[in-house]
Amino acid sequence: MDNNLLAQIVFYSFAVLTVGSAAVVVFSKSLIRSAFALLFTFFGVAALYAFLGADFLAAAQMVIYVGGILVLLLFGVMLTHKLYDLNLRSETFQFVPALVVAAAVFAVIVTFMLRTSWHTGPPASDAPTTAAIGELLMTDYILPFEAASILLLVAMIGAAMIVRRRSE
Amino acid sequence: MNPQLLLDLQKFYPELALTAAFLCVIVADIAFPRIRKRLTFAIAALGLAVAFFLSLPLIGEPAGTIFSGSLALDEMAVFFKCFLIATSLLVLLAAPGSKELSQRHMGEFYMLLLGVTLSMLLLASSVDMLMLYLSLEMVSIGSYVMVGYLKNDRQSNEASLKYLLFGTVATGAMLYGITILYGLTGTTKIALLREALATNIATGENAAMLLIATALIVAGFGFKTAAVPFHFWCPDVYTGAPTPVTAFLSVAPKAAGFAILIRFFFTGFAESGSPGSWTAFSFIDWRLLIIVISVVTMTFGNIAALRQNNIKRLLAYSSIAHAGYILMGTVVLNSQGLQSVLIYLITYLFMNLGAFLIVIEIFNRTGSFDIDDYRGLSRRSPFLTIAMTIFMLSLMGIPPFAGFFGKLYVFGAAVNNDLAWFAVVGALNSVISVYYYARVIRAMIIEPGRETSLIPLPWTSHVMVWIMLLPTVGLMLFWNDIQQLTMSSLRLFLG
Amino acid sequence: MIGLGHFLVISAALFSLGIMCVLTRKNAVNVLMGVELILNSANINLVAFSKFSAGNMSGQIFAIFIIVIAAAEAAVALAIVLSMYRIIKSVDLDRADTLKG
Repeated sequence: MDNNLLAQIVFYSFAVLTVGSAAVVVFSKSLIRSAFALLFTFFGVAALYAFLGADFLAAAQMVIYVGGILVLLLFGVMLTHKLYDLNLRSETFQFVPALVVAAAVFAVIVTFMLRTSWHTGPPASDAPTTAAIGELLMTDYILPFEAASILLLVAMIGAAMIVRRRSE
Repeated sequence: MNPQLLLDLQKFYPELALTAAFLCVIVADIAFPRIRKRLTFAIAALGLAVAFFLSLPLIGEPAGTIFSGSLALDEMAVFFKCFLIATSLLVLLAAPGSKELSQRHMGEFYMLLLGVTLSMLLLASSVDMLMLYLSLEMVSIGSYVMVGYLKNDRQSNEASLKYLLFGTVATGAMLYGITILYGLTGTTKIALLREALATNIATGENAAMLLIATALIVAGFGFKTAAVPFHFWCPDVYTGAPTPVTAFLSVAPKAAGFAILIRFFFTGFAESGSPGSWTAFSFIDWRLLIIVISVVTMTFGNIAALRQNNIKRLLAYSSIAHAGYILMGTVVLNSQGLQSVLIYLITYLFMNLGAFLIVIEIFNRTGSFDIDDYRGLSRRSPFLTIAMTIFMLSLMGIPPFAGFFGKLYVFGAAVNNDLAWFAVVGALNSVISVYYYARVIRAMIIEPGRETSLIPLPWTSHVMVWIMLLPTVGLMLFWNDIQQLTMSSLRLFLG
Repeated sequence: MIGLGHFLVISAALFSLGIMCVLTRKNAVNVLMGVELILNSANINLVAFSKFSAGNMSGQIFAIFIIVIAAAEAAVALAIVLSMYRIIKSVDLDRADTLKG
């Protein structure tokens, strides 16, 4: 089979996986189902990163989003509901107006995005990105890197402070 | 180590001082449990004071960027550094006097305050969209926790949750706008946007996409400055948060939001013509966008404030209205407009923090934020009554108090630049605002109250009220200095 | 050939689905899922532009920081949601209604 065709088939299947599971997240009535559908969205997005040659980012997406944030959200679902309650219903409201708004947003963004002539810079290389990212983080992006560490410290202490049960 | 990095660090002393104090507060809170309340307070106060004095030598540094174009160092940045640190210091000094907070463990509060202050300093001088978004989120995440500090209090929790959900969506939309700009220009540096968009401007190409990106980014700025229609969180959050946090949120992150709004649009989306004036890019009319937001914001804020009975809610809507006045100064594209913004912020700092300080003192005694419970206050505490009256008159914009001069400059800038109708709208709004501020004064002085016991005021509170009162009353005596200070703070790094 | 447009359409779809989720859901955890969709859509944009349009790494670096921010945000958000649940035994946003006026 043609390589190009194979690439297209793989791409479209991941695209369908990403958008389809995202739709399940949004439209599913069960909270648990939404959470697990989100897993597939994150996974599909990681695959798209791999398609774009962003190998480090694809790995980071898997480790942090799937391994960290999603688990956190699942904890959130489980801890705020009784565990034996398998039918975790999530109600919706303003369904039709919201659908109209979202569809309009999609239509407008897609229409103009496809018509826009985007910036064209030098072609990106297909070399592995990890080394380059590491070097940039330690040189040009040293300040955001350090600032992010402060952010994580604030978030960690803040979150621990809020959930700590003992009241003074 | 890169030698440039060491040179940059020397221009980064205020932020380093804040970081050091931030870390010391965390360690001291754990290491010295017996004296931690006083120790953490002392470290935080010292850190802020040191950071303030370390900012002053940066005045007069040649305008440029540090850390490979992440942050700008110019007069405007230094002005906002000093302003934001001073605000945090005043809130810090007022916090132990509030009964809502003082019975709690305070270490984390000081830590959060320092962390948010540091992030605001970064936000106000960001010239890279990555740094802008990162520091905006740092400010927001710290603020969510501060709002929810009273974790056993239902209102504080609800306020925090609303703030969080609204904030994450608004900043998420903003982020999407930023990515579009990156796609159009291939850069995240704000100063390079102007150059990269030059071909687009010549041909009028991609105008629609740019407009979408701008609108999405305005959502983020609107959220931070609580401008309509991104204000929904504001009244609930200001009501539910502990009052010192409300006071803090109503001044500091708002000022940082204006700082970055000015920096973003003036360096990225306008061309500097003759010294001190700019021309907006003609094909995306962000100027008109901000004029509309400004008018709607002040009108909505003032009208909604009319029917409030809770003093914190009233001040929340009033702060929305004031954001509308401040936005007026940003649409006048010259140094006069920018100067009026800085002057307005200085006056707003003292009168607004002062009003909240009185609210804290009265709550300590009465346990209520209801304006009806302010009845008969003139008998119970003449000092608090006089001080509150002055703050209210200043917020109305009545001469000779500070607020009058702030409004004078903002409206004057509009009139001088062919936007007289805009100034008239502002003046009409001020007239509406008289009604609800006067209601507070009437309750305190004219209406009789049931309670007649005197309200005792500790000496620390006396000192704090005086610190806010003196500038509100006496700012006009130093008018030349303020004018010179703000005039010399106008330089923006334009790339 | 798969080009920039393909990725932009996926990102726009995720963005509008995220908006939809935020607008319709009553459950706070569910709203947070919508926010994650929005952040992911922005990340796809950044990485795609980084490859096809800008030709530099700044888009990818930006995306890494967004993942970090999303993690920090999720931690604080879940803490606040749990604290809320402890008080009113619900995470439905229409139960969070004592602040009105």
